[in-house]
Amino acid sequence: MTSDKMGKAIGALLVLLGIVVILTPWIIFPVCEMQGLFLKTASGTNFPMTCGWAARAETGVGALIMVAGGLLIARSTTETRQAVGIFSIAMGALVILLPTVLIGMCKMAEHPCRMTTLPALELLGVIVIIIGGYLVWKRE
Amino acid sequence: MSNLPKFGFFRLIAANLTNRPHRNIATIIAFAIIAATLFSAQYLMSGAQQSLDAGMTRMGADIMVVPAEYNAKAETVILMGEPNTFFFNDSVFDKISKITGIAKASPQIFIATLAGQSCCAGLVQLIAMDPSNDFTVSTWLKENPGVTMGKDDIIVGSKIIGDIGSDIRFYGHTFHVVGRLAQTGMGVDMAVFTRIEDAYVMADESGVKAVQKVTIPRGMVSAVLVKLEPGASRTAVASEIRAKIPETKTITPDGLLGAVTAQLGAVTRLLYGSTLAVTIVSIPLLAFISAMVAHERRREVAILRALGATKTYVVRLMLAESFSISIVGGLIGIGTAAVILVFFQDFIAVILKIPFIIPSPMAIIYDAGTALLLSAGIGGISSLFPAILINSSEPYETIRKGES
Repeated sequence: MTSDKMGKAIGALLVLLGIVVILTPWIIFPVCEMQGLFLKTASGTNFPMTCGWAARAETGVGALIMVAGGLLIARSTTETRQAVGIFSIAMGALVILLPTVLIGMCKMAEHPCRMTTLPALELLGVIVIIIGGYLVWKRE
Repeated sequence: MSNLPKFGFFRLIAANLTNRPHRNIATIIAFAIIAATLFSAQYLMSGAQQSLDAGMTRMGADIMVVPAEYNAKAETVILMGEPNTFFFNDSVFDKISKITGIAKASPQIFIATLAGQSCCAGLVQLIAMDPSNDFTVSTWLKENPGVTMGKDDIIVGSKIIGDIGSDIRFYGHTFHVVGRLAQTGMGVDMAVFTRIEDAYVMADESGVKAVQKVTIPRGMVSAVLVKLEPGASRTAVASEIRAKIPETKTITPDGLLGAVTAQLGAVTRLLYGSTLAVTIVSIPLLAFISAMVAHERRREVAILRALGATKTYVVRLMLAESFSISIVGGLIGIGTAAVILVFFQDFIAVILKIPFIIPSPMAIIYDAGTALLLSAGIGGISSLFPAILINSSEPYETIRKGES
């Protein structure tokens, strides 16, 4: 496979991963609020739990991963691959850090966001980082 | 001439493998599936077994005596932490204490809390005990070891939210966290231990302070934990307890292991069955692929033979190629399965309703080694016949016929 074709294939994979990152907390492995779990105030208003805010942030990160993939499909030069590679590593790290450190998930171990959404996002983050690392490493 | 690459056994293997990427990737995937299914089955069994061992060792009790009609419920309390409230008369405790072979006995009261506590999403099992008589909880404190429980003090399981020194309310009564237990993967991770007298106060106040009143009848307990004297037979003492106090059932670590094995049985049977099915299908399939490759490579092998390679060398070459593919496939399969199993371990434990912790490194190495050995074995068996077949043709005849 030529490096141009390889670049386009990896770009398509990144777009797909971006979509999966967006869909994971809402549809594939839904966070608590998608399963009817909310924080209720004294006045009876429902607020999203911590995992809900992490899910919203992941939607943005997923969209950025899609843009990076799209860029690679449109223009697969060595420089683009390098830049997208570095960008993907950063985005992959964010996919992991948002639900673990930056925003976090619900504290309760038996909540659906902790049991399924969190491991799925961590796994996706690792995959995005590996792809980014490969793009940076593969100079030609 | 000096620029020519050095001709060597391993270089030849690498060149042969990279020259047929598509076919080799398909074969690698087949090996990955075999290794992944076998590894998953063994990993789940090891995790459940070790969780149970850790839980029972840390529980410190040789036998747990519960009301006969609540035997199954008591097992789910221990294994999965599904909260329950049940009682029998505490005269049972005195009777048990008098049975020969019993060194210590400790009564416990199980109370299911209300949903929506600050510490937890669902219901929590509140276990009231007598700290002066306890030989089970205080011995495996992870945080604040050696602490003694005072008024309204509680010791919490590893999954209960709340730092040492913080307060948690149950049935409107405020308790103070003084210790945290080590993780077991079992129900005790979601349990909260309090003193019996504090539980009585909580129950008495619950009518006013809580949305729902809880009743703990005086003179009743839910379970009696028993520690045997050294050398006493667990089976014999358990039988004697059941004979002398017919309204009770005894729970032993062996019995719990049986319950977990039964729960895991369907999944492990499915995984082992899949491994067997994939193995049975893959051996002839891989042998067929190897035979096809061998047929395609008759001329190449003939040239190798003409250059002086022995028949043993050719067999070694083909076996080494097959082993390489099977080991690469096996490693990919085991790696993928391990990542998924580790990341989703809580989810798997909840879905399968089994106690589960990540197995020890030695157990993981053993499980992975077995899966890898099976992959390599299948690779070797499937390529042996084609390797012998290809060696049977005469090199000169093959080259002369121009077969490729």
